[in-house]
Amino acid sequence: MIWISSRWKIALMLAPALILFTAFFVYPVGYAIAYSFTNSAGFGAARFVGFDNYVSLKGDPFFWQSVRNTLVILAVSLIILLPASFGLALLLRRIKGAGALRALVFGPAIIAPILVGLIWVFILDPRVGLVNRLLEPLGVGPIQWIGGNTLTPYAVSLVFIWSSIGFAMTIFYAGLQLLPSDIMEAVQLDGATAWQRVRHVTIPMMRETFAIVAILLITNVFKIFELVYMLTGGGPVHRSETLVSYMYFVTFTNQRYGSGMAIAVVIFVLGGVTSLAYLALARRRNIA
Amino acid sequence: MSLTTRSPRDGAARDVSTTGRRGTRPTTPGRRHLLAAGVAAYLVTFLIVLPILWIALLSLQPSDTILSDPFSVKSLTFGNYRDAIASLPLLQMYKNTIIVAAISVTAGALVSFMASFALTRMVFRRRAAQSSLRFYLLAGLAVPVYVLLFPIYRLDLALGIFGTYAALILPYIAVSIPFNTLLLTGFLREFPTELEEAAIMDGAGLFRVCWSVVLPAMRPVLATVFIFNVVYVFNEFPFVSILINNPDLATVSLAVSRFQGQYTVNYGGMMAAATLVLLPQLVIYAVFQRHVIAGLTAGAVKG
Repeated sequence: MIWISSRWKIALMLAPALILFTAFFVYPVGYAIAYSFTNSAGFGAARFVGFDNYVSLKGDPFFWQSVRNTLVILAVSLIILLPASFGLALLLRRIKGAGALRALVFGPAIIAPILVGLIWVFILDPRVGLVNRLLEPLGVGPIQWIGGNTLTPYAVSLVFIWSSIGFAMTIFYAGLQLLPSDIMEAVQLDGATAWQRVRHVTIPMMRETFAIVAILLITNVFKIFELVYMLTGGGPVHRSETLVSYMYFVTFTNQRYGSGMAIAVVIFVLGGVTSLAYLALARRRNIA
Repeated sequence: MSLTTRSPRDGAARDVSTTGRRGTRPTTPGRRHLLAAGVAAYLVTFLIVLPILWIALLSLQPSDTILSDPFSVKSLTFGNYRDAIASLPLLQMYKNTIIVAAISVTAGALVSFMASFALTRMVFRRRAAQSSLRFYLLAGLAVPVYVLLFPIYRLDLALGIFGTYAALILPYIAVSIPFNTLLLTGFLREFPTELEEAAIMDGAGLFRVCWSVVLPAMRPVLATVFIFNVVYVFNEFPFVSILINNPDLATVSLAVSRFQGQYTVNYGGMMAAATLVLLPQLVIYAVFQRHVIAGLTAGAVKG
Protein backbone atom coordinates (compact mmCIF):
# COMPACT_ATOMS: atom_id res chain seq x y z
CA MET A 1 0.00 0.00 0.00
CA ILE A 2 3.05 2.19 -0.33
CA TRP A 3 1.63 3.80 -3.50
CA ILE A 4 -0.97 5.79 -1.65
CA SER A 5 1.20 6.58 1.36
CA SER A 6 2.86 9.87 0.61
CA ARG A 7 3.65 11.90 3.69
CA TRP A 8 1.04 14.55 3.17
CA LYS A 9 -1.66 11.99 2.44
CA ILE A 10 -0.99 10.28 5.75
CA ALA A 11 -1.09 13.65 7.50
CA LEU A 12 -4.34 14.55 5.76
CA MET A 13 -6.03 11.33 6.83
CA LEU A 14 -4.87 11.56 10.44
CA ALA A 15 -5.19 15.28 11.06
CA PRO A 16 -8.95 15.68 11.64
CA ALA A 17 -9.17 12.93 14.25
CA LEU A 18 -5.90 13.88 15.93
CA ILE A 19 -6.77 17.58 16.15
CA LEU A 20 -10.31 17.05 17.46
CA PHE A 21 -9.22 14.36 19.90
CA THR A 22 -6.33 16.42 21.19
CA ALA A 23 -8.32 19.65 21.53
CA PHE A 24 -11.51 18.21 23.03
CA PHE A 25 -10.19 15.21 24.91
CA VAL A 26 -6.50 15.21 25.78
CA TYR A 27 -6.18 18.93 26.44
CA PRO A 28 -9.27 18.91 28.74
CA VAL A 29 -7.79 16.06 30.77
CA GLY A 30 -4.59 18.07 31.25
CA TYR A 31 -6.65 21.15 32.05
CA ALA A 32 -8.60 19.27 34.73
CA ILE A 33 -5.41 17.97 36.33
CA ALA A 34 -3.81 21.42 36.26
CA TYR A 35 -6.90 23.07 37.77
CA SER A 36 -6.99 20.55 40.59
CA PHE A 37 -3.85 22.26 41.89
CA THR A 38 -5.38 25.75 41.96
CA ASN A 39 -7.92 27.53 44.13
CA SER A 40 -9.91 28.55 41.05
CA ALA A 41 -13.51 29.48 41.81
CA GLY A 42 -16.35 31.45 40.24
CA PHE A 43 -14.57 34.73 41.04
CA GLY A 44 -11.03 36.08 41.43
CA ALA A 45 -7.84 34.90 39.81
CA ALA A 46 -6.74 31.29 40.17
CA ARG A 47 -3.64 30.67 42.28
CA PHE A 48 -1.45 27.56 42.49
CA VAL A 49 -2.10 25.84 45.81
CA GLY A 50 -0.28 22.52 45.44
CA PHE A 51 -2.08 19.57 46.97
CA ASP A 52 -4.38 21.71 49.13
CA ASN A 53 -7.54 20.62 47.32
CA TYR A 54 -6.68 16.97 47.80
CA VAL A 55 -5.86 17.53 51.47
CA SER A 56 -9.18 19.25 52.09
CA LEU A 57 -11.00 16.45 50.26
CA LYS A 58 -9.58 14.16 52.93
CA GLY A 59 -11.42 16.17 55.56
CA ASP A 60 -14.63 16.61 53.55
CA PRO A 61 -17.38 14.39 55.05
CA PHE A 62 -19.57 14.79 51.96
CA PHE A 63 -16.76 13.52 49.76
CA TRP A 64 -16.40 10.40 51.90
CA GLN A 65 -20.16 9.98 51.95
CA SER A 66 -20.14 10.03 48.15
CA VAL A 67 -17.30 7.47 48.08
CA ARG A 68 -19.22 5.27 50.51
CA ASN A 69 -22.42 5.54 48.47
CA THR A 70 -20.58 4.71 45.26
CA LEU A 71 -19.06 1.64 46.95
CA VAL A 72 -22.45 0.54 48.35
CA ILE A 73 -23.99 0.83 44.89
CA LEU A 74 -21.04 -1.07 43.46
CA ALA A 75 -21.27 -3.90 45.98
CA VAL A 76 -25.06 -4.28 45.86
CA SER A 77 -25.13 -4.12 42.07
CA LEU A 78 -22.38 -6.69 41.58
CA ILE A 79 -23.72 -9.11 44.17
CA ILE A 80 -27.19 -9.07 42.63
CA LEU A 81 -26.50 -8.36 38.97
CA LEU A 82 -23.85 -10.98 38.23
CA PRO A 83 -25.86 -14.03 39.35
CA ALA A 84 -29.18 -12.55 38.23
CA SER A 85 -28.09 -11.69 34.70
CA PHE A 86 -26.24 -15.00 34.33
CA GLY A 87 -29.29 -16.89 35.55
CA LEU A 88 -31.46 -14.93 33.18
CA ALA A 89 -29.16 -15.77 30.27
CA LEU A 90 -29.55 -19.47 31.16
CA LEU A 91 -33.32 -19.10 31.43
CA LEU A 92 -33.84 -17.19 28.22
CA ARG A 93 -32.51 -19.83 25.89
CA ARG A 94 -34.89 -22.50 24.81
CA ILE A 95 -38.30 -21.61 26.06
CA LYS A 96 -41.02 -20.36 23.74
CA GLY A 97 -40.52 -16.73 22.80
CA ALA A 98 -37.02 -16.49 24.31
CA GLY A 99 -35.89 -14.08 21.59
CA ALA A 100 -38.72 -11.67 22.31
CA LEU A 101 -38.12 -11.93 26.06
CA ARG A 102 -34.42 -11.17 25.58
CA ALA A 103 -35.33 -8.08 23.58
CA LEU A 104 -37.73 -6.92 26.31
CA VAL A 105 -35.16 -7.49 29.05
CA PHE A 106 -32.57 -5.51 27.08
CA GLY A 107 -35.08 -2.67 26.54
CA PRO A 108 -34.20 -0.54 29.60
CA ALA A 109 -30.60 -0.29 28.37
CA ILE A 110 -31.61 1.96 25.48
CA ILE A 111 -33.69 4.38 27.58
CA ALA A 112 -31.90 7.64 28.40
CA PRO A 113 -30.61 7.50 32.00
CA ILE A 114 -32.33 10.80 32.68
CA LEU A 115 -35.66 9.26 31.66
CA VAL A 116 -34.89 6.12 33.66
CA GLY A 117 -34.48 8.39 36.67
CA LEU A 118 -37.80 10.10 36.03
CA ILE A 119 -39.62 6.78 35.57
CA TRP A 120 -38.25 5.46 38.84
CA VAL A 121 -39.27 8.55 40.76
CA PHE A 122 -42.78 7.28 40.16
CA ILE A 123 -41.88 3.81 41.39
CA LEU A 124 -39.92 4.78 44.49
CA ASP A 125 -41.35 8.12 45.58
CA PRO A 126 -42.65 7.67 49.15
CA ARG A 127 -45.96 9.40 48.35
CA VAL A 128 -46.93 8.60 44.77
CA GLY A 129 -44.55 5.70 43.99
CA LEU A 130 -45.76 2.29 42.91
CA VAL A 131 -43.86 0.36 45.59
CA ASN A 132 -45.41 2.12 48.55
CA ARG A 133 -48.80 2.01 46.84
CA LEU A 134 -48.51 -1.77 46.67
CA LEU A 135 -47.25 -2.03 50.26
CA GLU A 136 -49.95 0.22 51.68
CA PRO A 137 -52.75 -2.42 51.76
CA LEU A 138 -50.34 -4.76 53.58
CA GLY A 139 -49.94 -2.19 56.33
CA VAL A 140 -46.28 -1.51 55.52
CA GLY A 141 -44.76 1.90 55.17
CA PRO A 142 -44.68 4.48 53.89
CA ILE A 143 -40.98 3.70 53.40
CA GLN A 144 -38.56 6.46 52.38
CA TRP A 145 -36.98 4.62 49.45
CA ILE A 146 -35.55 7.85 48.12
CA GLY A 147 -34.94 11.14 49.84
CA GLY A 148 -34.47 9.52 53.23
CA ASN A 149 -31.21 9.19 55.12
CA THR A 150 -30.27 5.58 54.52
CA LEU A 151 -32.04 3.79 51.70
CA THR A 152 -31.21 5.97 48.69
CA PRO A 153 -27.95 4.24 47.65
CA TYR A 154 -29.79 0.91 47.69
CA ALA A 155 -32.62 2.40 45.66
CA VAL A 156 -30.10 3.75 43.15
CA SER A 157 -28.56 0.27 42.97
CA LEU A 158 -31.96 -1.18 42.22
CA VAL A 159 -32.53 1.26 39.36
CA PHE A 160 -29.02 0.63 38.04
CA ILE A 161 -29.70 -3.11 38.15
CA TRP A 162 -32.92 -2.57 36.22
CA SER A 163 -31.21 -0.63 33.49
CA SER A 164 -28.15 -2.93 33.22
CA ILE A 165 -29.52 -6.44 33.63
CA GLY A 166 -30.38 -6.85 29.94
CA PHE A 167 -26.97 -5.63 28.89
CA ALA A 168 -25.18 -8.04 31.23
CA MET A 169 -27.53 -10.86 30.27
CA THR A 170 -26.76 -10.33 26.58
CA ILE A 171 -23.02 -10.66 27.14
CA PHE A 172 -23.54 -13.84 29.16
CA TYR A 173 -25.91 -15.15 26.51
CA ALA A 174 -23.34 -14.57 23.79
CA GLY A 175 -20.75 -16.35 25.95
CA LEU A 176 -23.08 -19.31 26.42
CA GLN A 177 -23.54 -19.60 22.66
CA LEU A 178 -19.79 -20.02 22.28
CA LEU A 179 -19.47 -22.97 24.66
CA PRO A 180 -18.45 -26.11 22.76
CA SER A 181 -21.52 -28.32 22.52
CA ASP A 182 -19.62 -31.62 22.53
CA ILE A 183 -18.45 -31.06 26.10
CA MET A 184 -21.99 -30.35 27.26
CA GLU A 185 -23.19 -33.49 25.52
CA ALA A 186 -20.46 -35.58 27.12
CA VAL A 187 -21.35 -34.29 30.57
CA GLN A 188 -24.99 -35.01 29.92
CA LEU A 189 -24.24 -38.59 28.93
CA ASP A 190 -22.35 -38.94 32.20
CA GLY A 191 -25.66 -38.26 33.93
CA ALA A 192 -24.89 -34.90 35.48
CA THR A 193 -27.91 -32.99 36.72
CA ALA A 194 -28.79 -29.57 35.39
CA TRP A 195 -27.39 -27.85 38.48
CA GLN A 196 -24.17 -29.91 38.37
CA ARG A 197 -23.65 -28.99 34.73
CA VAL A 198 -24.05 -25.30 35.41
CA ARG A 199 -21.99 -25.37 38.59
CA HIS A 200 -19.08 -27.54 37.45
CA VAL A 201 -18.94 -27.04 33.69
CA THR A 202 -20.66 -23.88 32.50
CA ILE A 203 -19.50 -21.46 35.19
CA PRO A 204 -15.82 -22.53 35.16
CA MET A 205 -15.77 -22.26 31.36
CA MET A 206 -17.32 -18.80 31.49
CA ARG A 207 -14.85 -17.37 34.00
CA GLU A 208 -13.55 -14.72 31.63
CA THR A 209 -17.03 -13.66 30.62
CA PHE A 210 -17.82 -13.16 34.29
CA ALA A 211 -14.72 -11.03 34.68
CA ILE A 212 -15.60 -8.93 31.64
CA VAL A 213 -19.17 -8.35 32.77
CA ALA A 214 -17.95 -7.48 36.27
CA ILE A 215 -15.45 -4.91 35.05
CA LEU A 216 -17.94 -3.37 32.61
CA LEU A 217 -20.42 -3.03 35.46
CA ILE A 218 -17.80 -1.47 37.72
CA THR A 219 -16.96 1.12 35.04
CA ASN A 220 -20.65 1.84 34.61
CA VAL A 221 -21.25 2.25 38.34
CA PHE A 222 -18.56 4.94 38.39
CA LYS A 223 -20.59 6.75 35.73
CA ILE A 224 -23.91 6.80 37.60
CA PHE A 225 -25.04 10.40 37.60
CA GLU A 226 -28.46 11.00 36.04
CA LEU A 227 -30.17 8.51 38.34
CA VAL A 228 -29.06 10.40 41.44
CA TYR A 229 -29.73 13.73 39.76
CA MET A 230 -33.35 12.77 39.07
CA LEU A 231 -34.14 10.64 42.12
CA THR A 232 -32.80 12.84 44.92
CA GLY A 233 -30.57 15.54 43.49
CA GLY A 234 -27.94 14.16 45.88
CA GLY A 235 -29.90 15.15 48.98
CA PRO A 236 -30.87 15.42 51.69
CA VAL A 237 -27.66 17.32 52.53
CA HIS A 238 -25.51 15.28 50.12
CA ARG A 239 -26.41 12.02 51.82
CA SER A 240 -27.19 10.24 48.55
CA GLU A 241 -24.43 11.76 46.44
CA THR A 242 -22.18 9.56 44.26
CA LEU A 243 -18.62 10.56 43.32
CA VAL A 244 -19.70 11.93 39.95
CA SER A 245 -22.77 13.77 41.20
CA TYR A 246 -20.76 15.35 44.01
CA MET A 247 -18.08 16.44 41.55
CA TYR A 248 -20.82 18.00 39.42
CA PHE A 249 -22.25 19.80 42.46
CA VAL A 250 -18.93 21.16 43.71
CA THR A 251 -17.89 22.29 40.22
CA PHE A 252 -21.05 23.70 38.70
CA THR A 253 -23.39 24.51 41.59
CA ASN A 254 -20.79 25.63 44.13
CA GLN A 255 -18.36 26.86 41.48
CA ARG A 256 -15.38 25.62 43.48
CA TYR A 257 -13.56 24.62 40.32
CA GLY A 258 -10.29 23.65 41.97
CA SER A 259 -11.92 21.24 44.44
CA GLY A 260 -14.23 19.94 41.76
CA MET A 261 -11.30 19.09 39.53
CA ALA A 262 -9.56 17.31 42.41
CA ILE A 263 -12.61 15.01 42.63
CA ALA A 264 -12.54 14.69 38.84
CA VAL A 265 -8.94 13.51 39.04
CA VAL A 266 -9.97 10.88 41.61
CA ILE A 267 -12.67 9.72 39.18
CA PHE A 268 -10.12 9.78 36.36
CA VAL A 269 -7.73 7.51 38.27
CA LEU A 270 -10.46 5.08 39.35
CA GLY A 271 -11.94 4.96 35.85
CA GLY A 272 -8.52 4.53 34.31
CA VAL A 273 -7.60 1.60 36.53
CA THR A 274 -10.82 -0.32 35.88
CA SER A 275 -10.72 0.38 32.14
CA LEU A 276 -7.13 -0.81 31.87
CA ALA A 277 -8.10 -4.01 33.67
CA TYR A 278 -10.88 -4.42 31.13
CA LEU A 279 -8.63 -3.79 28.16
CA ALA A 280 -6.09 -6.29 29.45
CA LEU A 281 -8.81 -8.92 29.77
CA ALA A 282 -10.39 -8.12 26.42
CA ARG A 283 -7.03 -8.32 24.75
CA ARG A 284 -6.44 -11.73 26.23
CA ARG A 285 -9.74 -12.81 24.78
CA ASN A 286 -8.70 -11.27 21.51
CA ILE A 287 -11.42 -8.65 21.27
CA ALA A 288 -9.43 -5.45 21.16
CA MET B 1 -32.13 -19.01 39.14
CA SER B 2 -30.14 -22.20 38.88
CA LEU B 3 -32.65 -23.93 36.66
CA THR B 4 -31.34 -24.88 33.32
CA THR B 5 -33.69 -24.88 30.42
CA ARG B 6 -32.13 -27.84 28.70
CA SER B 7 -33.78 -31.22 28.81
CA PRO B 8 -31.46 -34.16 29.47
CA ARG B 9 -31.42 -35.56 25.95
CA ASP B 10 -31.19 -32.27 24.17
CA GLY B 11 -27.55 -31.41 23.73
CA ALA B 12 -27.17 -28.81 21.00
CA ALA B 13 -25.70 -25.80 22.76
CA ARG B 14 -25.82 -23.53 19.77
CA ASP B 15 -29.52 -23.37 19.13
CA VAL B 16 -30.29 -19.67 18.71
CA SER B 17 -33.81 -20.10 17.44
CA THR B 18 -36.41 -18.32 19.52
CA THR B 19 -38.99 -21.04 19.29
CA GLY B 20 -36.74 -23.62 20.87
CA ARG B 21 -36.95 -26.25 18.17
CA ARG B 22 -36.08 -29.56 19.74
CA GLY B 23 -34.91 -32.53 17.81
CA THR B 24 -35.83 -35.10 20.39
CA ARG B 25 -38.83 -35.22 22.64
CA PRO B 26 -37.90 -34.17 26.17
CA THR B 27 -38.48 -36.65 28.95
CA THR B 28 -40.97 -35.82 31.66
CA PRO B 29 -38.59 -34.32 34.25
CA GLY B 30 -37.02 -32.28 31.42
CA ARG B 31 -40.42 -31.02 30.49
CA ARG B 32 -41.16 -30.00 34.04
CA HIS B 33 -37.85 -28.13 34.16
CA LEU B 34 -38.69 -26.41 30.94
CA LEU B 35 -42.09 -25.38 32.22
CA ALA B 36 -40.65 -24.00 35.46
CA ALA B 37 -37.99 -22.14 33.51
CA GLY B 38 -40.63 -20.72 31.20
CA VAL B 39 -42.76 -19.47 34.06
CA ALA B 40 -39.74 -17.93 35.78
CA ALA B 41 -38.55 -16.28 32.57
CA TYR B 42 -41.91 -14.71 31.81
CA LEU B 43 -42.29 -13.56 35.41
CA VAL B 44 -38.88 -11.86 35.51
CA THR B 45 -39.48 -10.24 32.14
CA PHE B 46 -42.83 -8.97 33.34
CA LEU B 47 -41.19 -7.44 36.42
CA ILE B 48 -38.64 -5.70 34.19
CA VAL B 49 -41.32 -4.29 31.91
CA LEU B 50 -43.57 -3.31 34.84
CA PRO B 51 -42.14 0.21 35.42
CA ILE B 52 -42.90 1.13 31.80
CA LEU B 53 -46.45 -0.18 32.10
CA TRP B 54 -46.88 1.81 35.31
CA ILE B 55 -45.79 5.02 33.57
CA ALA B 56 -48.18 4.29 30.71
CA LEU B 57 -51.04 3.73 33.17
CA LEU B 58 -50.31 6.95 35.07
CA SER B 59 -50.13 8.90 31.82
CA LEU B 60 -53.75 7.96 31.13
CA GLN B 61 -54.91 8.81 34.65
CA PRO B 62 -56.49 12.15 35.59
CA SER B 63 -54.19 13.95 38.03
CA ASP B 64 -56.50 13.65 41.04
CA THR B 65 -56.93 9.91 40.52
CA ILE B 66 -53.13 9.45 40.55
CA LEU B 67 -53.10 10.48 44.19
CA SER B 68 -56.34 8.88 45.32
CA ASP B 69 -56.63 5.63 43.35
CA PRO B 70 -53.84 5.15 40.79
CA PHE B 71 -54.83 1.56 39.95
CA SER B 72 -58.32 2.49 38.85
CA VAL B 73 -59.06 2.01 35.16
CA LYS B 74 -62.49 3.65 35.27
CA SER B 75 -61.66 7.22 34.30
CA LEU B 76 -58.74 6.76 31.87
CA THR B 77 -58.29 9.75 29.57
CA PHE B 78 -56.02 11.12 26.87
CA GLY B 79 -56.32 14.58 28.40
CA ASN B 80 -52.75 14.44 29.75
CA TYR B 81 -51.45 13.87 26.24
CA ARG B 82 -53.35 16.91 24.99
CA ASP B 83 -51.73 18.98 27.76
CA ALA B 84 -48.29 17.54 27.13
CA ILE B 85 -48.41 18.07 23.38
CA ALA B 86 -49.62 21.63 23.90
CA SER B 87 -46.95 22.50 26.48
CA LEU B 88 -44.01 20.56 25.07
CA PRO B 89 -41.96 21.68 22.05
CA LEU B 90 -41.64 18.05 20.96
CA LEU B 91 -40.69 18.83 17.37
CA GLN B 92 -38.11 21.37 18.48
CA MET B 93 -36.57 18.90 20.97
CA TYR B 94 -36.31 16.19 18.35
CA LYS B 95 -35.02 18.59 15.71
CA ASN B 96 -32.22 19.74 18.05
CA THR B 97 -31.31 16.20 19.02
CA ILE B 98 -31.37 14.93 15.45
CA ILE B 99 -29.22 17.81 14.15
CA VAL B 100 -26.63 17.29 16.86
CA ALA B 101 -26.69 13.50 16.49
CA ALA B 102 -26.56 13.50 12.67
CA ILE B 103 -23.61 15.88 12.44
CA SER B 104 -21.57 14.55 15.35
CA VAL B 105 -22.09 10.86 14.55
CA THR B 106 -21.38 11.25 10.82
CA ALA B 107 -18.35 13.46 11.38
CA GLY B 108 -17.13 11.21 14.19
CA ALA B 109 -17.41 8.12 12.01
CA LEU B 110 -15.72 9.88 9.08
CA VAL B 111 -12.69 11.23 10.94
CA SER B 112 -12.31 7.95 12.82
CA PHE B 113 -12.45 6.02 9.56
CA MET B 114 -9.81 8.24 7.96
CA ALA B 115 -7.51 7.85 10.95
CA SER B 116 -8.14 4.11 11.18
CA PHE B 117 -7.36 3.66 7.49
CA ALA B 118 -4.10 5.55 7.90
CA LEU B 119 -3.23 3.58 11.04
CA THR B 120 -3.80 0.17 9.49
CA ARG B 121 -3.22 0.54 5.76
CA MET B 122 -0.82 3.32 4.96
CA VAL B 123 2.93 2.83 5.19
CA PHE B 124 4.68 5.04 7.72
CA ARG B 125 8.40 5.79 7.54
CA ARG B 126 8.56 4.75 11.16
CA ARG B 127 6.27 1.91 12.17
CA ALA B 128 6.57 2.83 15.84
CA ALA B 129 4.88 6.15 15.11
CA GLN B 130 1.94 4.30 13.63
CA SER B 131 1.29 2.05 16.62
CA SER B 132 1.84 4.79 19.18
CA LEU B 133 -0.64 7.06 17.39
CA ARG B 134 -3.20 4.25 17.50
CA PHE B 135 -2.53 3.78 21.18
CA TYR B 136 -2.88 7.54 21.71
CA LEU B 137 -6.41 7.50 20.28
CA LEU B 138 -7.39 4.30 22.09
CA ALA B 139 -6.19 5.65 25.45
CA GLY B 140 -9.35 7.76 25.51
CA LEU B 141 -11.29 4.56 26.27
CA ALA B 142 -9.92 4.61 29.79
CA VAL B 143 -11.11 8.13 30.63
CA PRO B 144 -14.54 8.74 32.19
CA VAL B 145 -16.07 11.65 30.25
CA TYR B 146 -17.09 13.42 33.47
CA VAL B 147 -13.50 14.56 33.79
CA LEU B 148 -13.97 16.58 30.59
CA LEU B 149 -17.13 18.47 31.59
CA PHE B 150 -15.66 21.55 33.19
CA PRO B 151 -12.63 21.91 30.89
CA ILE B 152 -14.86 21.67 27.82
CA TYR B 153 -17.24 24.22 29.30
CA ARG B 154 -14.29 26.62 29.60
CA LEU B 155 -13.00 25.68 26.16
CA ASP B 156 -16.40 26.33 24.54
CA LEU B 157 -16.52 29.70 26.29
CA ALA B 158 -13.04 30.57 25.07
CA LEU B 159 -13.88 29.53 21.50
CA GLY B 160 -17.09 31.57 21.61
CA ILE B 161 -19.26 28.57 20.76
CA PHE B 162 -20.81 28.08 24.22
CA GLY B 163 -24.58 27.56 23.99
CA THR B 164 -24.58 26.61 20.30
CA TYR B 165 -24.95 23.26 18.52
CA ALA B 166 -21.19 23.31 17.93
CA ALA B 167 -20.61 23.41 21.70
CA LEU B 168 -22.04 19.90 21.83
CA ILE B 169 -21.04 18.55 18.44
CA LEU B 170 -17.30 19.02 18.86
CA PRO B 171 -16.97 17.19 22.20
CA TYR B 172 -19.36 14.45 21.01
CA ILE B 173 -17.08 13.83 18.02
CA ALA B 174 -13.99 13.79 20.23
CA VAL B 175 -15.59 11.44 22.74
CA SER B 176 -16.61 9.01 19.97
CA ILE B 177 -13.14 8.76 18.41
CA PRO B 178 -11.54 6.20 20.79
CA PHE B 179 -14.32 3.63 20.54
CA ASN B 180 -14.78 4.14 16.79
CA THR B 181 -11.05 3.70 16.28
CA LEU B 182 -11.09 0.51 18.34
CA LEU B 183 -13.84 -1.02 16.21
CA LEU B 184 -12.63 0.26 12.83
CA THR B 185 -8.95 -0.59 13.21
CA GLY B 186 -10.00 -3.95 14.62
CA PHE B 187 -12.03 -4.61 11.48
CA LEU B 188 -9.40 -3.35 9.05
CA ARG B 189 -6.65 -5.42 10.60
CA GLU B 190 -8.53 -8.62 9.83
CA PHE B 191 -9.76 -7.50 6.46
CA PRO B 192 -7.66 -8.68 3.45
CA THR B 193 -5.94 -6.00 1.33
CA GLU B 194 -6.21 -7.74 -2.07
CA LEU B 195 -9.17 -5.73 -3.29
CA GLU B 196 -7.51 -2.45 -2.45
CA GLU B 197 -4.26 -3.48 -4.11
CA ALA B 198 -6.15 -4.53 -7.22
CA ALA B 199 -7.91 -1.18 -7.30
CA ILE B 200 -4.59 0.63 -7.00
CA MET B 201 -3.17 -1.47 -9.87
CA ASP B 202 -6.17 -0.28 -11.90
CA GLY B 203 -5.08 3.26 -11.21
CA ALA B 204 -7.33 4.22 -8.31
CA GLY B 205 -6.09 6.94 -5.98
CA LEU B 206 -6.42 7.20 -2.22
CA PHE B 207 -9.93 8.67 -2.35
CA ARG B 208 -11.26 6.07 -4.79
CA VAL B 209 -9.76 3.23 -2.77
CA CYS B 210 -11.41 4.47 0.43
CA TRP B 211 -14.73 5.49 -1.05
CA SER B 212 -15.42 2.73 -3.58
CA VAL B 213 -13.54 -0.24 -2.17
CA VAL B 214 -13.03 -0.07 1.59
CA LEU B 215 -16.10 1.82 2.81
CA PRO B 216 -18.65 -0.45 1.09
CA ALA B 217 -16.96 -3.49 2.62
CA MET B 218 -17.13 -1.89 6.07
CA ARG B 219 -20.88 -1.42 6.12
CA PRO B 220 -21.58 -3.80 9.03
CA VAL B 221 -18.98 -2.32 11.36
CA LEU B 222 -19.98 1.21 10.35
CA ALA B 223 -23.57 0.35 11.22
CA THR B 224 -22.39 -0.69 14.67
CA VAL B 225 -20.47 2.57 15.03
CA PHE B 226 -23.53 4.59 14.00
CA ILE B 227 -25.95 2.81 16.32
CA PHE B 228 -23.63 2.99 19.29
CA ASN B 229 -23.04 6.72 18.86
CA VAL B 230 -26.61 7.69 17.99
CA VAL B 231 -27.84 6.01 21.17
CA TYR B 232 -25.09 7.77 23.12
CA VAL B 233 -25.90 11.24 21.76
CA PHE B 234 -29.66 10.78 22.16
CA ASN B 235 -29.28 9.76 25.78
CA GLU B 236 -26.40 12.05 26.74
CA PHE B 237 -27.16 14.44 29.59
CA PRO B 238 -24.08 15.72 31.50
CA PHE B 239 -22.57 17.66 28.56
CA VAL B 240 -25.85 19.09 27.33
CA SER B 241 -26.85 20.16 30.85
CA ILE B 242 -23.79 22.37 31.03
CA LEU B 243 -23.11 23.48 27.47
CA ILE B 244 -26.64 24.45 26.39
CA ASN B 245 -28.41 27.20 28.30
CA ASN B 246 -30.90 28.26 25.63
CA PRO B 247 -34.17 26.31 26.04
CA ASP B 248 -34.76 26.54 22.29
CA LEU B 249 -31.69 24.40 21.71
CA ALA B 250 -32.56 21.81 24.37
CA THR B 251 -32.18 18.19 23.33
CA VAL B 252 -34.61 15.50 24.41
CA SER B 253 -32.56 14.54 27.48
CA LEU B 254 -32.28 18.14 28.65
CA ALA B 255 -36.00 18.69 28.21
CA VAL B 256 -36.78 15.54 30.21
CA SER B 257 -34.56 16.72 33.06
CA ARG B 258 -36.82 19.77 33.39
CA PHE B 259 -40.12 17.90 33.49
CA GLN B 260 -40.21 17.81 37.30
CA GLY B 261 -39.91 21.59 37.48
CA GLN B 262 -42.15 22.19 34.50
CA TYR B 263 -45.06 20.00 35.55
CA THR B 264 -44.50 20.17 39.34
CA VAL B 265 -47.53 18.28 40.68
CA ASN B 266 -49.17 17.66 37.31
CA TYR B 267 -48.06 14.03 37.47
CA GLY B 268 -50.36 12.91 34.68
CA GLY B 269 -48.96 15.55 32.34
CA MET B 270 -45.40 14.61 33.30
CA MET B 271 -46.02 10.93 32.64
CA ALA B 272 -47.69 11.69 29.32
CA ALA B 273 -44.65 13.78 28.34
CA ALA B 274 -42.34 10.94 29.44
CA THR B 275 -44.36 8.45 27.40
CA LEU B 276 -44.22 10.72 24.35
CA VAL B 277 -40.42 10.71 24.61
CA LEU B 278 -40.21 7.01 25.39
CA LEU B 279 -42.53 5.77 22.68
CA PRO B 280 -40.54 6.71 19.55
CA GLN B 281 -37.40 5.27 21.17
CA LEU B 282 -39.10 1.99 21.93
CA VAL B 283 -40.64 1.76 18.45
CA ILE B 284 -37.27 2.32 16.80
CA TYR B 285 -35.74 -0.20 19.16
CA ALA B 286 -38.45 -2.74 18.34
CA VAL B 287 -37.73 -2.39 14.61
CA PHE B 288 -33.93 -2.49 14.79
CA GLN B 289 -33.71 -4.62 17.92
CA ARG B 290 -31.06 -7.04 16.69
CA HIS B 291 -28.78 -4.31 15.37
CA VAL B 292 -29.21 -2.15 18.46
CA ILE B 293 -28.33 -4.98 20.83
CA ALA B 294 -25.35 -5.96 18.69
CA GLY B 295 -24.24 -2.33 18.46
CA LEU B 296 -24.44 -1.60 22.16
CA THR B 297 -22.64 -4.75 23.22
CA ALA B 298 -19.96 -4.50 20.53
CA GLY B 299 -16.55 -4.42 22.11
CA ALA B 300 -17.73 -6.65 24.94
CA VAL B 301 -18.96 -9.34 22.58
CA LYS B 302 -16.96 -10.17 19.55
CA GLY B 303 -18.82 -9.92 16.27
